[in-house]
Amino acid sequence: MTARLVAGMARLCGAGLLGLGLLASGVRAETVTLTLYNGQHEATGRAVAEAFQAKTGIKVLIRKGGGGQLANQIAEEGARSPADVIYTEEAPPLIKLASEGLLAKVDAGTLSQVDPNLSDSQGNWLGITSRVRVLAYNPKLVSEAELPQSVLDVAGPEWAGKIAFVPSSGEFLGQTAAVIRLNGREAAEEWLTGLKAFGATYTNNVIAMKAVENGEIGAALINSYYWMALKKEKGQLNSKLHYFADGDAGGLASVSGAAVVKASKHPKEAQQFLAFMISEEGQRAILSQSAEYPVNKAVPADPLLKPYDQLKPPALSAAEIGLAEDALDLQREVGLN
Amino acid sequence: MNAEGVEQALPVMAPARASRRRRAPPIWLQLPVLALLLVAALPLFYVVVRASQSGWHEAWALLWRPFVFGLLANTLKLMVLVTVGCALIGLALAWLVERSDLRGRRRWNVLLCLPFAIPAFVSGFTWISISPLFEGLGGTVLVMVLSKYPLIYLPVAATLRSLDPALEESARMLGYSRRQVFWRVTLPLLRPVLMATSLLVAVHMLVEFGAPSIMRYQTFTTAIYQQFELAFSNTNAAMLSALLLALCMLLLWGEFRLRGRGYARTGQGVARRAAPVRLGGWALPVQLLLVALVAVGCGTPLTMLGFWIYQGSSASFPLAALLEALWSSLSLGFGGALLSCLLALPVCLVVVRYHGRLAGLADRLPYLLHALPGLVIALSLVFFALGYVPALYQTTALLLVAYALLFMPMAQGPIRVALEKASPSLEEAARTLGHPPLSAFLRVTLPIIFPGIGAGFVLVFLDTMKELTATLVLGPTGLETLATAVWTHTANLEYAAAAPFAALLVLVSGLPVYLLTTRAYLRQSGA
Repeated sequence: MTARLVAGMARLCGAGLLGLGLLASGVRAETVTLTLYNGQHEATGRAVAEAFQAKTGIKVLIRKGGGGQLANQIAEEGARSPADVIYTEEAPPLIKLASEGLLAKVDAGTLSQVDPNLSDSQGNWLGITSRVRVLAYNPKLVSEAELPQSVLDVAGPEWAGKIAFVPSSGEFLGQTAAVIRLNGREAAEEWLTGLKAFGATYTNNVIAMKAVENGEIGAALINSYYWMALKKEKGQLNSKLHYFADGDAGGLASVSGAAVVKASKHPKEAQQFLAFMISEEGQRAILSQSAEYPVNKAVPADPLLKPYDQLKPPALSAAEIGLAEDALDLQREVGLN
Repeated sequence: MNAEGVEQALPVMAPARASRRRRAPPIWLQLPVLALLLVAALPLFYVVVRASQSGWHEAWALLWRPFVFGLLANTLKLMVLVTVGCALIGLALAWLVERSDLRGRRRWNVLLCLPFAIPAFVSGFTWISISPLFEGLGGTVLVMVLSKYPLIYLPVAATLRSLDPALEESARMLGYSRRQVFWRVTLPLLRPVLMATSLLVAVHMLVEFGAPSIMRYQTFTTAIYQQFELAFSNTNAAMLSALLLALCMLLLWGEFRLRGRGYARTGQGVARRAAPVRLGGWALPVQLLLVALVAVGCGTPLTMLGFWIYQGSSASFPLAALLEALWSSLSLGFGGALLSCLLALPVCLVVVRYHGRLAGLADRLPYLLHALPGLVIALSLVFFALGYVPALYQTTALLLVAYALLFMPMAQGPIRVALEKASPSLEEAARTLGHPPLSAFLRVTLPIIFPGIGAGFVLVFLDTMKELTATLVLGPTGLETLATAVWTHTANLEYAAAAPFAALLVLVSGLPVYLLTTRAYLRQSGA
């Protein structure tokens, strides 16, 4: 009698647990929450996530961090990654994840809307915005006559204490790779050695940009949108932008990109998020925080930016820059990293 | 972090230890201690596993490069300068307050501890918001010295107060001048406490992350954090961590060598206060110097905070974000404190009541934990959680484990003192009256030591809110605490946006820590 009672109770409990489990999973299916690993600037990632949320009702949780840091994390998490989408400021973290087979293919319909040169040729990741590198300078410290044609010219003694760069940034690593590709390893080594000797290192681009603006240093190698962001914040700026000669490594074009993580438990919504990022609404949300060139041509770029078709960046694709491992090796040899 | 140091370095007058049991501790005490020891050893495993995964050759290449030499030089420079600076200031202040006829001694005693109220990274951000001139080594040393000197000042002052003045008086009578007495009698007597506290400051400097990172001075900790960005292999971070661990262990070893060497006054009661040295013409300049110290050390950060809040209030005040961060900080602090106390209790029980190898290990555990950099703890927890307990990854639970490792030593201090006062014979009496061991403990000993547990809880609770490194690396997605909000905003030079978070942090964490520490210290020293 007692045994049967116990068995009955156990069965009841089991059924109850099952029911609870079903209920829980049912509830979860109704309210999908996407996890975005945001290696793009915080405000930019937040803006597009909020716009997506407002439109679809799908909640987006954001994990902050650098693109490389978050890509590393996904690599470490592997099949257990809680991430659905990764959005990075630069392509190398995405290239790395693609090479390890950790990304799902982007929907063909989404991919076809973007210039194929700006996304992965294998369709592993999607280009979101593009931009070029520039020299931001303060005319009080650097006269227009002194402005160089090539980025290789800023590594000499005449620039001692005048040139800022950010050796810990992915952008600078990409630029180093571009110098290696275009001018050879030897020239690149000489360039880095010169920068190390005469330049001032900064820990991030925002700080380097503000240092130029405040007249603490003459010029900085940065991406154009850092200057634009400051311009929006302050209205009138002391500093100006200088574009290097056509095809010079100083004007390297690069893309920000996003991808669906293979381990994603919500691939459908993740693909939906990617499609939203290149839709007019998504692109406007992104551009509202970061003045870059949109991949969706229906959206105008900020008129303060030099028009996209007037730019003549070197013909190096994201794939040709690759992971820039050789550039990191070189930076380490020189002692910059 | 501050208060923890003082708790440790203050000479605690422990009553003669009640008879220790010879038996091995019961299994329910052994398990938590063993678990803690295991988790504390994770960073070492982490470094070794990483290095062997990537191949020893690559690991060596990552260690042996110019950049690492530069980091080593930077880290050591910061450590030495700050330690020496703190020792000089701490010693001078302690002597002034305890041995001279300085006016307003008690007031100064309280004011000089004010840096406890301001987390170093908060004061770091206020200084560079004045001028970028404070970036780099100079500014970082300035900020760190001003925020860490109480770690030396407090224990040295306490020792000075408890020293029997008879020794110094005898030296005077035997013909030493005042100066000679100081150099040949007082200073040698103070040497053990001075060395021990200096080592403490040195360890703090090795593991400090927030302030150097905000002030753009590159050390091992800041580089480990940054290097993730470039290399797509965590071996690099692991190798830098290995070096940092080695440095910390070296200091830990030094501390072990020094421990227990002290001078103890024989005899009962409180030491008589020595006849104060007259400052005479120096009285006014000394007062002015002290005013300047407090004004520069605490006045500047607080004023700048006020300035930025005023500046920022013209923009929208992020009330919702502030409340959310405050809630996160409070609840994480609560959880961290609870777990720390739960773990500290068995460790203390083993140390106080039992003999043997495990007790010896448990006794050293807090010192080991103390020398583990928060960043390395966090990285190794990420690594092991992903590899072995993926369900824990990016959960609050894992973050709480990191907090417990970091802050358990703080909870241990008061609990241990309380346990030493709770005689085991009371518990034994309960057992002869028929209570099983656990019930005897719960009904007899626990009520006696409850105030000690409470004190430990509050200390950990308040200090956890200032934690930055582990929170950044381990926190669940979307987590924003007061500390991480300050850090994120200052990284982009948004001082006005950082200020309300920083001010709230000072208010809910810094000020209470300061009040508690100074009160505990004043009570302990009988001043």
